[in-house]
Order: sequence, then C-alpha cells, then structure tokens
Amino acid sequence: MYSVIGLAAAVVGLSGSVLGVLGGAYALTTSRLHLLRTVRTWAWIVSATGVVMCVVMLRALAVRDFTVDYVQQVGSPNTPTLYNIAALWSSLEGSLLLWILVLGGFTAAMLVKFRDRHDDALFGWALVVMLGVSAFFYALVAGPANPFTAVDIPVGFEPRGPNPLLQNHVLVAFHPPMLYLGYVGFTVPFAFATAALITGRLGEGWLIETRRWTVVAYGFLTGGILLGAWWSYEVLGWGGYWAWDPVENASLLPWLTGTAYLHSVMVQERRGMLRVWNLALVCSTFCLTVLGTFITRSGVIDSVHAFSDGPIGAWFLGLFGVVTFGSIGLIAWRGDQLRSPGSIDSPLSREASFLANNLLFGAMAFVVLLGTVFPLLAELWDGSRLTIGSPYFDSMAKPLGLLMLFLMAAAPILPWRKASGEVLSDRLFWPAVLGVVAMVVALVYGGRGWAPVLAFGLGGFAGGSALRQVVLATRRHGWRGFVGRTNGGMIVHIGVVLVAVGLVAADAYKVDRTVSLEVGETATVNGHTFTYLGGDGDQNSRRIRIWADIQIDGEDVYQPATTLYREQGVVVPTPSVRPGFSEDLFLVTDAVQEPGQPVRLRVVIRPMVTWIWTGGMLMFAGTVLAVFPGRRRRGTEPVSVVSSELAEQATPA
Amino acid sequence: MTSRLVRWTGVFVAVVGLLAVSVVDRGVETEDQRIQRLHDSYACPVCDGQSVADSNASVAEAIRTFIEVEVVAGASDDQIRDDILAAWPGSLLNPPGEGFAALVWVLPVVVAVVGAVGVAFVVGRRVEATTVSSADRDLVEAARRGTER
Repeated sequence: MYSVIGLAAAVVGLSGSVLGVLGGAYALTTSRLHLLRTVRTWAWIVSATGVVMCVVMLRALAVRDFTVDYVQQVGSPNTPTLYNIAALWSSLEGSLLLWILVLGGFTAAMLVKFRDRHDDALFGWALVVMLGVSAFFYALVAGPANPFTAVDIPVGFEPRGPNPLLQNHVLVAFHPPMLYLGYVGFTVPFAFATAALITGRLGEGWLIETRRWTVVAYGFLTGGILLGAWWSYEVLGWGGYWAWDPVENASLLPWLTGTAYLHSVMVQERRGMLRVWNLALVCSTFCLTVLGTFITRSGVIDSVHAFSDGPIGAWFLGLFGVVTFGSIGLIAWRGDQLRSPGSIDSPLSREASFLANNLLFGAMAFVVLLGTVFPLLAELWDGSRLTIGSPYFDSMAKPLGLLMLFLMAAAPILPWRKASGEVLSDRLFWPAVLGVVAMVVALVYGGRGWAPVLAFGLGGFAGGSALRQVVLATRRHGWRGFVGRTNGGMIVHIGVVLVAVGLVAADAYKVDRTVSLEVGETATVNGHTFTYLGGDGDQNSRRIRIWADIQIDGEDVYQPATTLYREQGVVVPTPSVRPGFSEDLFLVTDAVQEPGQPVRLRVVIRPMVTWIWTGGMLMFAGTVLAVFPGRRRRGTEPVSVVSSELAEQATPA
Repeated sequence: MTSRLVRWTGVFVAVVGLLAVSVVDRGVETEDQRIQRLHDSYACPVCDGQSVADSNASVAEAIRTFIEVEVVAGASDDQIRDDILAAWPGSLLNPPGEGFAALVWVLPVVVAVVGAVGVAFVVGRRVEATTVSSADRDLVEAARRGTER
C-alpha cells in the first residue's frame, strides 16, 4: 500500500512539475499572464506531494513495511524512534525525498510571500525554474532512485537498519535537514536570477526581493556544516571535526560562493555595480550544490561518507551541465544590459574591500574544488592514483584565511566610495590594540609559531572591528543596533572570529597520544592523568556496548566505548569528550572484547574546540538577526539605472 | 598626524616583536612533535583520504608504529618517506610537486594572480557617471520600502 501511495505521489509531483513548467513557459512567452494562476496551483500540488511522499515513507518506516524497497534497505524493528525517523535521509533515495520536501517548502513559501504578484513575469519565471528543478528530483524518485519500489521479502531476510554511524548520536536528526535547508534554499535566488535574465529586468529589484532568502539559506548552510563537523567530532572517533573529505568539501563550496555573494550584492544594491559578477555567483552557488551532489552521489570520488555509487550520478552531471551552460548563455545574451553604471572611486572604500573579499572567497572555492576533483583528473590524465588530503588544503587555506581575517577587520569600518587615511587610522586603532592584546595573551598561554600567533592577532583585530561596529550601532539605535543585515552581519563576524581562532588553536597545538593501560594503571599526557579503572558493558537487541572507565586528573570518570551493531556486524568506536573553555580531552578506545581487558586508549587534546561550536552558534544567531528588518535608510546615491535605459545608451545611434 | 604615526608605529613594533618571540621561543621540534607531524603527513592506504593519524584502521596503526620506530632510530624525514612509499605505495597525503600533479599547486596561484589583476583593473577603472532619472530613484526607493516593511 505504501509503495502505491508513494509512487502515485511521485508521479503526480512529476506531472505537476512538468505541466507547471510547460504551462508557465507558455503563459509567459505568449503574455497570457492570467494562466499563471494555474501554474501556482500546480506548484501547490507539487509542494503537497513532497509532504505526502515523506509522510508515507516515515509511516512505512514506522510500521516496518519491508515490502517497500527503501524500508528493506534501512529499516529495522530494533531501531529507536528517533533514528527510525532519521533513517529517512540515511540513504540515497530517502535523502532525495528530503530534498523534494525542502524544495517544496521553499516553493510554498514563495507562493505565500509573492501571493499578490500572480501576474508578475519575474515571479512567474522564478516559479517555472523552481518547478523545473522539482521536475528533475521527482523524475529521479519516480525513476532510477525510486524508494517506493515494491519488493518481495526474501526468505531469511534480516533487517539491517541504517548505517550504525547514523544511529548513535542525536545530531544525525538535525545536521542533514539543516544542511539541505541551506543547499536547497539557494535554489530561490538562483530562480530569481534566472528569471531576471530571461525577463531582462536586471536592475536591483530581484536582488532586493531575494536577499533575505539568500541570508536564510546561508544561515542554514552554516548551521548544517557546523553541526556536521560537531557530529564528526562526537561520533566518528578520529579526534577531529573536519577532514577535507569530498563530502565536506561539497558542502563548503556553495557556502564559500554564497558568502562572497552576500558581500558583493551590497555593492550592486548601493552602487549598481558588479551585475554580471553577482549573477555569476548566484548561478555558481546553485551549480556547486548540484556538483556537490554529483560528487557525493555518483561514487566517482572516494569519500569516507559518500553513500552511493548508484546510477544517478549521470543525472546530476546532466543537470550540472544544463544549469552551467544555461546560466552562461543567459548572462552572455544579456551582456549589454549588464554593464555597470559606476566605478570604484578608491581602493580605500567599502566596495573595493568587498571585491577583495570576493577574490579571496573565490580563490578558496577554487582551491577546494580543485583539490576535491584533482584525483579524478589525474586518474583520467595518466591513470595515477593521487590522494589529496589535509596537508594540501591546510597549506592553501591558511594564507587565505589570514588575509580574510585582515579584511574582516578593515572592511566594516570603511565607508562607501572613499576613506581618508585619518578616518582609517582612527577607526582601526583600538581594534589593532585588541589584536596586539590577543597576541600577548596567546604567547602568555604558551602559543608559539608565527602563523598561529598572527592568526590570534588578526582574530582580535577583526573581532575588535566588529565589536566597535556593534557598540556604535547599539549606542545609536538601542536594541535595533543588533538587528538588520549590517548589524547581524557583525555578530556573524564575531562568530567567524571565534571559529577561526578555535580552528587555529585546535589544529596548531593538538596533542595526540595512544597509550596501553592495564586496569588500575595511569598514563600522563600533556600534564593530565588518565587512570583506567576497569570497564563494563551492556547490550540490547540492537547492539553490544563495552566501555572503559577512565578517570581524568583523579576527578570525573569518562567512558569511551566500542559498540558492536548486531544487524550490520560493525564495530564502531564511540568517543568520550571532556569539553572545556581552554581545551577538550578526547578519549577513544580500540575494540575491547571483554570488560576489564587491557585497553589501548587514544588521547587527543585540542585547545579551544568549544570556541568553534560557540562561534558557530553565534554565526547562526547573527544570521537570524540579519534577516530581521534593520534601521530604515534612504537610498544611497546613485541608485542604479534600469537595464533598458542602459541598453538604450549602449545602442549606437 | 604625528600622534597617529607614533601610535601605529607602536602597534607595528609590538606585532613584529611578538611574532619574533613566537618564533624564537618555539625551540627545537621534539621527538613527539616530529612523530605527530609525520603521522599527519601520510594517508591511510585504505581509508579514502584519511591521514594515518586520524584513521583507526590496522594498516594506519602499522604505519604509525613504523614512523615511531624510524624516528626513534634516528631516520631522516626523507628516509622515512622513501621507506613508507616502498612498503605502502600511494600513501602520500600531499600531492607531489612534479608532473601533472604539480598543477594542483600551480593553478591556485595562477588564479589568485589573475583575480588580483582583475580586481586591480576594476578598482582602477574609471567610468563616467550615468545620469539617473528621478523615476529610477522612485522605483528603487519603492522596492526598498517594500522589503523593509
């Protein structure tokens, strides 16, 4: 029954998407705009079928209907309710359902937000693009990645449940949905950018319409990435949080171009410049979400958590090609209308600093993309097998990161158009003093090496600059000094500083030791004592868990464990972490067969890891504040001209 | 102007001095630090890009132990590298700087330089100001009012 309902919903969704695209394109190209009402109806249906499919699959998982293919893959009577819900996105086909649900949610939100614009061509084309993307995903779930396929239950079938790593920490319930909200959210600005290109309404209207949508997508993507890092740290047992794995890189790429866009879009809003660049960034961000999905779903690149080598890689490659070449073609077609009406007056200006920001984020995105796909290129070139890991990415990211921190300090205090040396000097002095203080504190607490200490200094510099802006804004406007894009952005900056400083400290001053301990024995690592008090175990129908009781510094006892998941026959190490303001103590044990046996204990001490998570939360909070309307301001001179006027000027008499 | 110059000179001297202290006071790399650095430099051959430091696989542990033994025995980094690559081919985590793989190091530099030149061009470019009609101002103002409501 669930197979039938689910597949029927997929077919209705696919049909609705296709009819919506065709109907919308017909209505818009023939100027029969009243027909767009029908397209809106189709869009509502498409959004609703996404909900129906997810509800049906969740129900099938809940009742363990093993005649449904996907339930047979990831369902188990032994999986707890929370992880049974999370099983919806624990494998390829289910994750596509989540994608469709989120895309439908954004489409519905657009329909509500623009409910008074049903005959507006810009919104109409944006809706057509949204439905076109929906059609692609519905085609996948109705075709090669159909999770609702009805299957026989094989003789002797033993349910396996989801991947063990996806059923031992609560974060798995939040990280993927949040990441998808970010990934899919960038479809909205892409849809409006495409609509602006098609309609020729290339002024700043579409930017202003979509800026909050972009900020929302950015916030979710930021949260999703950081939750993923946190999950990796708490679950995977390798003592780190970011491995430059292709899947991680795939999520970082659109974040980098999205961040660049959030800055450069202000130049266009204020000065009417960078039109081509902003369109290219919006389209690139969406293209990179598609490319990232291709990388992680096609199996072309090995990854520790790529979870498919199915047939849909070619589909995503096709979509990537269509979106990329389509975007390039549209931008080229509208080239004449995209000329900027102004120029940058001075290198010491807000707009010039945003350009430099874009250069750094663009370079970073290029490095991440190149490092991710290069093993594939090398294999195609001469058959060689290359591994590109953390040392490469770290050596490339560090100089770029230092420059970004410097820019984060300078850019917020720069006025638009032009700044004098005196203004710069006065505004930057106290942030610079804070940077020097940060360096002194770092040295006092044992920080060594020019790069980490410089990073602390630049972190203090950037943090001081952002704090200065927040203090000034709250002095002038009270609580409203915290809200709005600029003020919320400064909160995000402070969060970025905490994340950056945490990353530098946790990486540069990491201590990693493995010790063998008998019961009652104590090891000392970096001034901390670790006493093995013994251990114990428990079991249920799902797993057998054996833990070691490790007393740290003669105080609290922590229990790193190894867990055998019966259905999969997989042993998973479960770390135990003592978090702290100044350092985290991360404990993980090798597989222990019996409680009380000698244990090999790995101790990873990383300073300031908590700062990363705190900074991440601050970034998310700042993004939420940025969504709220800030102080009203007059339009800045000169406002941009409408594109038609530019086109007229560009046309020779 | 003079007081500004003095203040910023002070900041500059302080930064340079603190960086000098951070480098000079760092001391010689200890044996443990060297082992850690080497653990971070090699890939676990069966772990899809994880370093031997991060992997819990048995082959990663074997390489970790091998590095520790070699370091204690006084082998140089190059000797350890050659020995590891002979025993576990493909375990370099950093791409080599020669042949086709050199591109992965060169291309980002090329892109950064081209990008920097492009930004310099845009910043240095002068375009005559475009006349903006009052109707355009009204359009943008109306759009702003609409979104900030």
